[in-house]
Amino acid sequence: PPVSPFPRPDVHPLPSGTHLLFSQNGRIEHIPLEGYDMKPDQAKTVLHLPGKLIVGVAYDCVEKMVYWTEISPSSINKANLQGGETIPVIESGVTSPEGIAVDHLGRTIFWTDSITDQIEVASMDGSQRRVIINSDLVNPRAIIADPPNGNLYWADWDRDAPKIETSYMDGTNRRVLVKDNLSLPNGLTYEPQSSLLCWADAGTKILECMNPGRGDRRKMTEGIQYPFGMTAYGKNVYYTDWDRLALVAVDTHVGRETSEFLPLKRTKIYGIATAYAQCLAGQNYCAVN
Amino acid sequence: NALTGTPGDCRPCPCPDRTSCSAIVQTGEVVCTNCPAGRTGVRCQKCEDGYHGDPLGQSGPARPCTRCDCHGNVDANAVGTCDHLTGRCLKCLGHTEGDRCERCKQGFYGDALNHTMHQKCKSCSCSASGTSGPVTQCHPRTGHCHCLPHVTGRDCGRCEVGFFHLQPGLGCRRCDCSPVGSSS
Repeated sequence: PPVSPFPRPDVHPLPSGTHLLFSQNGRIEHIPLEGYDMKPDQAKTVLHLPGKLIVGVAYDCVEKMVYWTEISPSSINKANLQGGETIPVIESGVTSPEGIAVDHLGRTIFWTDSITDQIEVASMDGSQRRVIINSDLVNPRAIIADPPNGNLYWADWDRDAPKIETSYMDGTNRRVLVKDNLSLPNGLTYEPQSSLLCWADAGTKILECMNPGRGDRRKMTEGIQYPFGMTAYGKNVYYTDWDRLALVAVDTHVGRETSEFLPLKRTKIYGIATAYAQCLAGQNYCAVN
Repeated sequence: NALTGTPGDCRPCPCPDRTSCSAIVQTGEVVCTNCPAGRTGVRCQKCEDGYHGDPLGQSGPARPCTRCDCHGNVDANAVGTCDHLTGRCLKCLGHTEGDRCERCKQGFYGDALNHTMHQKCKSCSCSASGTSGPVTQCHPRTGHCHCLPHVTGRDCGRCEVGFFHLQPGLGCRRCDCSPVGSSS
């Protein structure tokens, strides 16, 4: 049985401010950000589900909930970060859910499944579920929502034809954004204020960014090790690394690594999400419909 | 719980290698919070992703966590590639299947264990006209399809020597050559 509810002695509610949330096996940890700096001495566990394997993590700034995908067995769940029980969202019909994204305006979640090779959408309680992409996917992983502009972005690390794609949030207007010089694009993130889409490739070992509207692709750092998850906050991107067992911060203005955080627990870090103190302003057509 | 005020309030954590634990106040359940490397779970009874075993021997003799062996037929970039208890491979690639991705799927042939080959399992691709059964059925190792009478070749694509005119469903016809006028 899942070990909840908390508070428990080993878990802590999320304090105010902006944080990074990241998963290690059955734990979701948080590390506060002060400006763009990670505060290692204040890193704590926010949720502990022993024995689970949490892959993707997403944050809903409206209800201050964390959403996650877990595998073996597979499901999608959520929990309030101020304390509360695990709430099941999707319990059947998922085989290997990996990336998860929240549309905080339209109140929906999106996820990729690397076995059914689909992208699905549902309301935040798991109802009104629908497949929006079901073709030409091989190993879909990261998925990102840009609610104010109504766009989705996702990466497929298909060894034969890796690609980064985009579509509207209903799956229409699907286009390939990047396919050349890609290998294993595990990490993907979008920073709404700078309109910068960044990805971290575990095959080419390069972290790159582009403005999806302009298509101006730029290398940020080369020779990175084994990126898995990725998130953005302002000018920084943060990725999890399977080889370094670390969170790595990269400044996109200067294009280089600025700091790293090594959690006490020396094990692979999977998903990562930015838990904003407040929602960024904006609305989209789904929110008003 | 040291606040109860009785001897034995503090007991050792039921966790391996004297690692820490915490008790949930409401339920009294004790959960290990710092399992040794490669292990996870309430009692550190489970192996991490990519490893299998039964370190506490909960379903038989204790087995330490060892890396899952899928004969190189799972992708190191994938997650959840094997069962944490049995080690059964869950995401076999390259048209392989089996608990250890040890054989080619139906419709494919080759050596799933051959680490040097680029394409370990190739499609049967039996000739539609020379095959007696489905075109996707062939010998899992040699790739030989089930040929119609007097049809030969791995894919049943040609007639035996002395036969000609391969017809779907029938096979090949015997050559009807005059022994006098033929050179072979």
